[in-house]
Amino acid sequence: MKMKMHVNISVVVDVIGALSDKSLLNGNLCLMDDGPFQSTGQGTPALCTVVTPGQLVRWSALAVDLQTPVEIKNITFLGPRAAEEADADSSDPDGSVDSVDSGQLDLYEWAGVVPTFMARGVPYKYRLDLQMYEGEHSVLHVDSPALMRL
Amino acid sequence: MTQQLAIIVLVDVGNALSSRALTDNTYLFDNMKLHGSENQGTGDLVTAIHGAYWRDGSQAGEQVLNWLPYSLGSIPPTVPRSYHAIRAQQTDRQALADLAELTNGSRPSGADAEAVLAQIQKSVGMRVKTARRTRALSGKILDVTGKVVSDHSRETHSYPPPVITDICGEAVDEKIIYPAAYGSPDLVTDGWYWSATVDTSRPGTYAYTMEIQLHELAQRDGEMIWEPVNLTCRSTLRITSDPRRNGFTQAGTGYLPIAPSPFA
Repeated sequence: MKMKMHVNISVVVDVIGALSDKSLLNGNLCLMDDGPFQSTGQGTPALCTVVTPGQLVRWSALAVDLQTPVEIKNITFLGPRAAEEADADSSDPDGSVDSVDSGQLDLYEWAGVVPTFMARGVPYKYRLDLQMYEGEHSVLHVDSPALMRL
Repeated sequence: MTQQLAIIVLVDVGNALSSRALTDNTYLFDNMKLHGSENQGTGDLVTAIHGAYWRDGSQAGEQVLNWLPYSLGSIPPTVPRSYHAIRAQQTDRQALADLAELTNGSRPSGADAEAVLAQIQKSVGMRVKTARRTRALSGKILDVTGKVVSDHSRETHSYPPPVITDICGEAVDEKIIYPAAYGSPDLVTDGWYWSATVDTSRPGTYAYTMEIQLHELAQRDGEMIWEPVNLTCRSTLRITSDPRRNGFTQAGTGYLPIAPSPFA
């Protein structure tokens, strides 16, 4: 069987819903991947993508309404012990996430190769920060998605 | 991934027709303020288009522009498509009912009858014809609240929305944008909208011109018609192009930033 070396994770955001609810929950965020293994949580903010070392994982943001912009502001891996953390979805008031000019976010490609030292069967959670235009509550995040080594 | 870039062209139709110019009567907005668009809400909008290229120089990502014309001080385009026809019907029916009441003898004296007739004539309004086959233009002269206008020379009335008939100018001649009118199932702009893809490989500032058609109330052969008036409006695009970089490494693709765990 030929191994599929690219895994694409789609980050589909209902921007108007997310900004109205000030939350990426309630169906405003939908994560999906096309990995060759049995990923769980497809279509929810708690997607756990099953990967194997050497695969290239690529995240891309898509707004349900094409005229409402959304960009991935940051993806930070929380480490395998982050399974105990509750799913936070409040906006991030301090700019500790990134100092990148928000107008330049669309230039970034969020892709990386899966390393070999991931423990098998352990979800490695990551925090996904999304920027929806500008303003006080324009940056929302979830801590629930994860990568897991087969 | 691609976001559609929208430019709203808000035209103060009444003033544009009286001064026969769109300058100072057009307000432009776009959704690229975050990318650096300037002068939002004025006629001097400079639309910033953020191009990107891959390491080999090829264009990464497609920018698509959409233009949405709106009229300031008209019945909003979101009313049902049959609104104008229904209003015309309703006022006609009302006038007929009033006439029936008059002839049934409930108003005795002649002077009163004349006054009532004048009132009915005012409330029935005037029909307006059009050469275009769109419902948005046919019907009666209405004001912005949907009420019939009895004396159009003295009262303000609603105008049909502006129509973009062409996009041309420097940006098109230099092949920076490739505009075309597309058909749309969304009938807000009569089923047509202008859209253009952008070649972002040549950064710079380029001007373009929109040919916009407004409609003016005119009397021809005893009938009221909407006559088209063609005006032009200029705007500018500022194209920039930057390399796409990896979000994790700020450079090329590498390993995911997962810290090696001591609990393997």
